[in-house]
Amino acid sequence: MKFDLSILAKHIPFLLEGAWLTLQACALAVIGSLVLGLVVGAMRTSASPLLNRLAAIYIDIFRNIPFIVQLFFFYYGLPEIGIYIDAFTTGVVALSIAGGAFTSDVIRSGILAIDPGVIEAAQVSGLRKITIFRKIILPIALRASVRPLGSVFINLILTSSILSTITLNELTGSAKIVASNTFRPFEVYFVLLVAYAALTYSVSILIGMLHRYLNRHQEEGAV
Amino acid sequence: MISITGLRKSFGAATVLNGIDLEIRQGEVVSVLGSSGSGKSTLIRCINGLEKIDAGKITVDGFDVSKPRELSEARKRSGTVFQLFNLYPHMTAVQNVALAPIEVLKVPRKQAEAEARELLHSVGLTERADAYPSQLSGGQRQRVGICRALAMKPSYLLLDEVTSALDPEMTSEVLSILAALAKTGTTMVFVTHEIEFARSISSRIAFLDKGQLIADLPTEEFFSATGMALPRVAQFLSKMRKD
Ligand SMILES: Nc1ncnc2c1ncn2[C@@H]1O[C@H](COP(=O)(O)OP(=O)(O)OP(=O)(O)O)[C@@H](O)[C@H]1O
Ligand SMILES: [Mg+2]
Repeated sequence: MKFDLSILAKHIPFLLEGAWLTLQACALAVIGSLVLGLVVGAMRTSASPLLNRLAAIYIDIFRNIPFIVQLFFFYYGLPEIGIYIDAFTTGVVALSIAGGAFTSDVIRSGILAIDPGVIEAAQVSGLRKITIFRKIILPIALRASVRPLGSVFINLILTSSILSTITLNELTGSAKIVASNTFRPFEVYFVLLVAYAALTYSVSILIGMLHRYLNRHQEEGAV
Repeated sequence: MISITGLRKSFGAATVLNGIDLEIRQGEVVSVLGSSGSGKSTLIRCINGLEKIDAGKITVDGFDVSKPRELSEARKRSGTVFQLFNLYPHMTAVQNVALAPIEVLKVPRKQAEAEARELLHSVGLTERADAYPSQLSGGQRQRVGICRALAMKPSYLLLDEVTSALDPEMTSEVLSILAALAKTGTTMVFVTHEIEFARSISSRIAFLDKGQLIADLPTEEFFSATGMALPRVAQFLSKMRKD
C-alpha cells in the first residue's frame, strides 16, 4: 500500500469541520482557563486564609487527576445526579477547569514575583485594593506570565484531543471516523499529526510575539 | 500636622521604635537622622501606613493611620518618595504620575496627564515624559518618583533616602529639586545620610538612636553645642563627617 494523500480529498470538508470545532473549544477553554486562573491566582495570593486554602485545594485536586477521568466524571457521572450538559459544553468546561489549575499557578508566581515596593508605592498613593489589582498587579503579572501561560495553552490544545472520547467529533474525533471509513489510518493520522503540530506551532509563535510586544519596554531579564 | 505620640513598633521580639513623640507642622522641613538600623525607614513606613503600629497614635491632619477608614484620607494628604523609586514598570513617566490623580482624585485623564507633563517639565523631564522607567537613568527615575508624589498635591512629602541609590551627579540633580521644593514651603519629612544637605534645607532635625528619638531640635541648635552635648549625636556626626 502506498502513501496516498489524495484519497482524503473528499473527506477534507469533514476534517475541517472537526478542526473548526477544536479551534472553538480551545479558544473558549483558553478564555475560560485564563479567567479562572486570574480569579484563583488572586485568591491564592490574597490575605484571606479561607480563599487561599480553597484555591490551593482546587489546584491540588485538578492537577492530580487525569484529564480523561475528570471529563468522564462530568460527562457520564453528572447525569446520574440529574445534571445533563451537552458534549461540547462539557468539554469546554472540563478543559477550562483543568487548565485553570495550571494557569492559576502561573499567575500566582507572576504576582509573587512583583517587586513589593511597586505595590507599596501604589498603596501609599491611596489607590484602592481593586484598582491596585487591576492597574498594577495584573498587568505586571500577565506580562511576566505570557510564556508560561503559552505552554499551558498549548497543552490545552493537545489535551482537547481527549474530547473525542465523549462523542465530540473535533479534529481527532473526525479523523478517527475518516480512518475507519477509508481504512487508511496511516494517511489520516499523518494529516492529524501535521494539523496539531501546525496548530501548536502557530500558537507558540503568537505567544512569542505577544511576549515581545508586551515586554518591549522592560529591561533584559527584568520581571 | 503630622502628630506622632507614644509610637511603638516591634518586629517579633525586636522593638524597632520605642516611645516616639514627634510633631511636624505645615511648612516645616524635618530631617530624620540616625545610624543604620535606628528605625528611620520604619518611622516613615508607620506614617504612611505600610507598617501596623503596636502602640501609640499617628495622625495626619487629624486622620488616624491605624483606622482603615481614616488611612485613605491620611494617605491622600501625604506623598512618599522611595529609595529605590518603585515606579510602575509597565507605565510611562506620564502614566506613573497621572495614575493616582485619575483613580483617587477622579481628575479627568486629559487634565491629569497635562498636569503630569507640567510637573515632569518642572523637573527637567519634558523630553522623557513618554519614556518607560527602564529607559530612564536613576536620577531621572527618582525625579519621576518625586513628580508622582507631588501629583497628589500632598500636604506632606515623606522621603526615605531618596538619593542613596544614585551616583553623585544624579544625587545633586535630585537634591536641587528638593531644595527648590523646600523653598516653596513644601512640608517634608526627610530621611537622609546627606548631613550637609539636611542642614541646609531643614528647619528641624530629629535624631533616632536604637528606636528612640533622642533629639528633636531646630537645625542650628542640633549642629551646635546643644546637639554636641548628646554623646550619640556627637559620635554620629563625627563618624558621618569622616566618611
Ligand atoms: N520587615 C522587617 N522585619 C523584621 N525586622 C525589620 C523589618 N524592617 C526593619 N527591621 C529591623 O528594624 C530595624 C530598623 O530598621 P530601619 O529600616 O527602620 O532602619 P533605618 O534607620 O532605616 O536604617 P538604614 O539607615 O540602614 O536605612 C533594623 O534592625 C531592621 O533590621
Ligand atoms: Mg532605611
